[in-house]
Amino acid sequence: MAESSVDVLLKGGSGRSARGLLRIIILVTIAAAAVSSRLFSVIRFESIIHEFDPWFNFRATKYLVQNGFYEFWDWFDDRTWHPLGRVTGGTLYPGLMVTSGVIYHVLRFLTIPVDIRNICVLLAPGFSGLTALAMYLLTNEMSSSPSAGLLAAAFMGITPGYISRSVAGSYDNEAIAIFLLVFTFFLWIKAVKIGSIMWGALTALFYGYMVSAWGGYVFITNLIPLHVFVLLCMGRYSSRLYISYTTWYALGTLASMQIPFVGFLPIRNSDHMSALGVFGLLQLVAFAEFVRGFIPGKQFQRLLTASIILTSGLAFVGLVVLTMSGVIAPWSGRFYSLWDTGYAKIHIPIIASVSEHQPTAWPSFFFDLNFLIWLFPAGVYICFRDLKDEHVFVIIYAVLSSYFAGVMVRLMLTLTPIVCVAAALVLSYILDIYLKASPGPVTRGRSNEDPSDGLRSARNPEVGISSYFSKAVTTSALIVYLLMFVAHCTWVTSNAYSSPSVVLASRMPDGSQFIIDDYREAYYWLRQNTPANAKIMSWWDYGYQIGGMADRPTLVDNNTWNNTHIATVGKAMSSREEVSYPILRQHDVDYVLVVFGGLLGYSGDDINKFLWMVRIAEGIWPDEVKERDFFTPKGEYRVDDQATPTMRNSLMYKTSYYNFNKLFPMGQATDRVRGARLPAESPQLSTLEEAFTSENWIIRIYKVKDLDNFGRDHNSAVAFDRGNKRKKATKKKGARVLRSE
Amino acid sequence: MRPFATLVTALCGLVLSSSSIVYAESTFASPKPLLPADFKPPQVFKNVNLVRNTNLEKGFARETINVVVENVDKQPQSDYYLSFPSDLFGRVGGLEVRDKKETEKGRFEVEAAEVDYPSDVQYFVVHLPEPLASSSQITLGISYSLLNSLHPRPAAIEQSDRQFLTYSFSAYVPSAYQTMTQKTKLKFPSTNVPDYTTTDLKSGEDPERQGSTYTYGPYDTAKIEPGTSHPVTVRYEFTKPIITATLLERDLEVSHWGGNLATEERYWLRNNGSKLLNHFSRVDWTVANYQQSPSSAIRELKYPLKQGSVDPYFTDDIGNVSTSHYRPSKGNREANLEFKPRYPVFGGWNYSFRLGWNNDLAPFLRRAASGTDSYALKVPFLEGPKMAEGLQYEKVVLRVILPEGARNVRYETVEGSSSNGLPSAGQIQSSLSSHKTFLDTLGRTVLTLAVESLTDEARDSQLVVTYDYSFWEGIRKPITITAGLFSVFAAAWAIGNIDVSIKKR
Repeated sequence: MAESSVDVLLKGGSGRSARGLLRIIILVTIAAAAVSSRLFSVIRFESIIHEFDPWFNFRATKYLVQNGFYEFWDWFDDRTWHPLGRVTGGTLYPGLMVTSGVIYHVLRFLTIPVDIRNICVLLAPGFSGLTALAMYLLTNEMSSSPSAGLLAAAFMGITPGYISRSVAGSYDNEAIAIFLLVFTFFLWIKAVKIGSIMWGALTALFYGYMVSAWGGYVFITNLIPLHVFVLLCMGRYSSRLYISYTTWYALGTLASMQIPFVGFLPIRNSDHMSALGVFGLLQLVAFAEFVRGFIPGKQFQRLLTASIILTSGLAFVGLVVLTMSGVIAPWSGRFYSLWDTGYAKIHIPIIASVSEHQPTAWPSFFFDLNFLIWLFPAGVYICFRDLKDEHVFVIIYAVLSSYFAGVMVRLMLTLTPIVCVAAALVLSYILDIYLKASPGPVTRGRSNEDPSDGLRSARNPEVGISSYFSKAVTTSALIVYLLMFVAHCTWVTSNAYSSPSVVLASRMPDGSQFIIDDYREAYYWLRQNTPANAKIMSWWDYGYQIGGMADRPTLVDNNTWNNTHIATVGKAMSSREEVSYPILRQHDVDYVLVVFGGLLGYSGDDINKFLWMVRIAEGIWPDEVKERDFFTPKGEYRVDDQATPTMRNSLMYKTSYYNFNKLFPMGQATDRVRGARLPAESPQLSTLEEAFTSENWIIRIYKVKDLDNFGRDHNSAVAFDRGNKRKKATKKKGARVLRSE
Repeated sequence: MRPFATLVTALCGLVLSSSSIVYAESTFASPKPLLPADFKPPQVFKNVNLVRNTNLEKGFARETINVVVENVDKQPQSDYYLSFPSDLFGRVGGLEVRDKKETEKGRFEVEAAEVDYPSDVQYFVVHLPEPLASSSQITLGISYSLLNSLHPRPAAIEQSDRQFLTYSFSAYVPSAYQTMTQKTKLKFPSTNVPDYTTTDLKSGEDPERQGSTYTYGPYDTAKIEPGTSHPVTVRYEFTKPIITATLLERDLEVSHWGGNLATEERYWLRNNGSKLLNHFSRVDWTVANYQQSPSSAIRELKYPLKQGSVDPYFTDDIGNVSTSHYRPSKGNREANLEFKPRYPVFGGWNYSFRLGWNNDLAPFLRRAASGTDSYALKVPFLEGPKMAEGLQYEKVVLRVILPEGARNVRYETVEGSSSNGLPSAGQIQSSLSSHKTFLDTLGRTVLTLAVESLTDEARDSQLVVTYDYSFWEGIRKPITITAGLFSVFAAAWAIGNIDVSIKKR
């Protein structure tokens, strides 16, 4: 009985609507799963903004909500990059903040009192639900199989490659950008397929949104022209292509130029030239197609060859001339580092110092994508079997993004969508073959009626698997893979990607959770007990957090727009106090904040990042800061009593280990991160004084001393206070002279 | 027909009731009578005997004055002036005057009568309920706290040093009237009182010391001009923090639908104790914590909550503070919330945070009379942490958020036979406003009460708010939401039916 009722449900006219309903329910369930799998951190910790960059976005969003859109647009932030400031409104991608701002105001309009923080925290999970839906639409365009879209949506919903950037609290541009990326591609495919201006315009609209949201929009800017170019080379010019591309390019470029940070880049930057070039090429091809209708074939060939050579020559010369003359900006450094992975390390240490800009390690492909990664090539192969325009797109996307994902860990994010599409295409193909019931009586009946007389096998083409055994084996194997995938995704999400990194968790001996909240302890202390415009110097990693949580001006932050300023901080940290103190004074620094993990064994501390500070400082002052001086003659990086004098006299070393030995019995002080026994004597500070140290010593804050009241230098003032006898010899006799320095 | 009629009534109610809210009992602080600068109260009274008890065991001075007052005028008199030095006047908290012999009769009405600037003295006027007949006596019990009256000396100490406070006052109790005899008893938190002023105002030792109690006087002051002062300063050990809330905002949100009373309190806390001479040293603090030695830093606050309080939270501007501990109530015991600030709050440091919890509404609310739409809500005026060292509040703003459409709002504080720590009704500023939240159409009625200078003596004070709230007000929101959703669907259907294609049909 049950079977027959299912039959009724799935066949005929009512079947279609039942299937549609089922599909909607499945999609909604997938979206719900996508959202809920990202809530680990909220449940384990609290609704909190994660890591570093999200703190800036959160702060900017609060600014937008409080001051309105126009204020936000013109925002000059004098609380960062002291004393330079930052033209924040013109140097950010506002899409994310505006999205949350709109949501906030809509909710306020409905008088639903939702804190802006909660909107920001939950934006990424919310949009990942939408991404799953967009993925369904995109994949549905690629395959006629009913299951491909649903599978792709499910993969996209839970694959760690995407979750890594979109857990609750990870309020970063990628949170909405991946949805926009997938949806723009869906609209583009739709436009190419139908050749309608409306779909092209919609593509441009979402492309514009994407531009406002993430710097990764360049990927779309280059991928769509490449798709068109490849189609042209394949001789697949059509009016559909012409309509959709020209619509997209014209409207999309205009839309992208509305963002101040992008401005005139689309017509002046090399990164965008391929889109312009393909736009021109398409006009030529369209013109050629038009002319071909009037001119006989042979003449046309000749004309075509000549004109192609002429125009491409002209275009190339024009490009070179414009680049040389500086009208078109050359490729940016980040772009070069995509082609040469060693480039950044040599030329821009600041880019290389970010862990997410490192080349991807092989295991991380499996870690982030699990079994999708080996289905991926098969999916691309399937696209070759049925090479329609949209499949060409998948192939290009797959090739490009696999390269990029190999170059930079971060770009795993752009690879993930296409892997999901490809894997879903394969899986649905396999499932369609192995899950379909034995060839129905309808087919057989029709072949029986076939009047033509031929071979039995040809007359009755039974394609498909009929053995129940092989069906069962294959499908159950697949199901096992799928289940393992789900288990893997959950495990990875829960263990690797759900830590706010602002709050650390560890376990007490009795198994209960112990929260290590040192960051917020120290930031809140700064917020409550220092003057509102006390300048805090720290390494740039903590700039956004200090701005967001401590609400104090900082010297450098994660925006890293001014390498010299960062190098200055690096120099102050890596030099002796006598050198650092004038730098601190010149930059009005009131407090120095360092992160120290030696007590707890927290490895992400400043001593471990110290070499990057040295390197970046060395890039600007190669004579004053030398990386070699921080290594022992044997080439070791040490902090114990074998450490080099340069190391032990550096401000970073001193501030990290100041008074640390007092916690331990005499001579027992141990740094738990580096496993080193520290010198028995604590480093002496003369120009700074300890102002605050958090409970587990992770954050140490030092106050920069004012100039000495008696005009002494701090060293001798401290020595005097300690009661050291001043050597008579140093006292200069003779007439007083004005110091001239 | 009937449901339709009700719907119409409700919708009319939506539109009309905004104009029909009656701002009953909106007692804005009446403009205080400003007295001329050279004002002197008429000398119609005489203080026959005056005893002042000053309690210094908490982070503020608490004074109780018992005074026998005699009418020396020929007419019956009813206005007794209390004088305070101008610098103290604004810091007098929870002033209460009663008839000492008949405390259950309640407090006398007290009014601030400010004297025009410049004047050394300011006055409170006590209105006796029945005029005091000529040459008859009454014993007044006057109690008040003096906020921010204790000053650390030395002002900055080492982190492990003990804290000492000074308290300055006049050996002659300031009074507008002639006083025959008077004395002052000081109660210190410990016997460690290294410095104190000695006087020769009476024969023999002054003050007399007995354990932690010091007594100045009794003095025979019949010939001393009223308003004469004789400065006395005492310096004593006080190893606890001086916890000061510069502002407390307290919201009580009543939900009839949810049967819930939600409380949220926002504190701006400061420790007024000795500042740190050097900066904070974590090593020393770890050692001090290990040895459990007393400290003038706020280490932890204990907050007893009403029985049945659930879902407590403790957050600050940057999120949840994980160092809190909630012990739910068991049996008849109060629930207890123990929470630590993120960092120890030393002298001069600030810490702001918010606390909140929910209670079942039933124990707090009842109908004024069965069958009517009138409700009475009885809630604590002030709760706050309960600490041995006490808490002083420079300003408390209490908001009682009543359901949407509540009207005829009245309030009163509950008086008992002993002091409830609150000042008299005239010094509580009140206002009514509206607050829109959770899909409100008109906004909820909000009763805001603001009081300056309170101490945790007012912890157990109760506030009764009565208001009218009809059935139709209660179902306004479901109807609004239903109508809203219905109109959205209707609009969607209508828009979906429009054909905008440019194809030929």
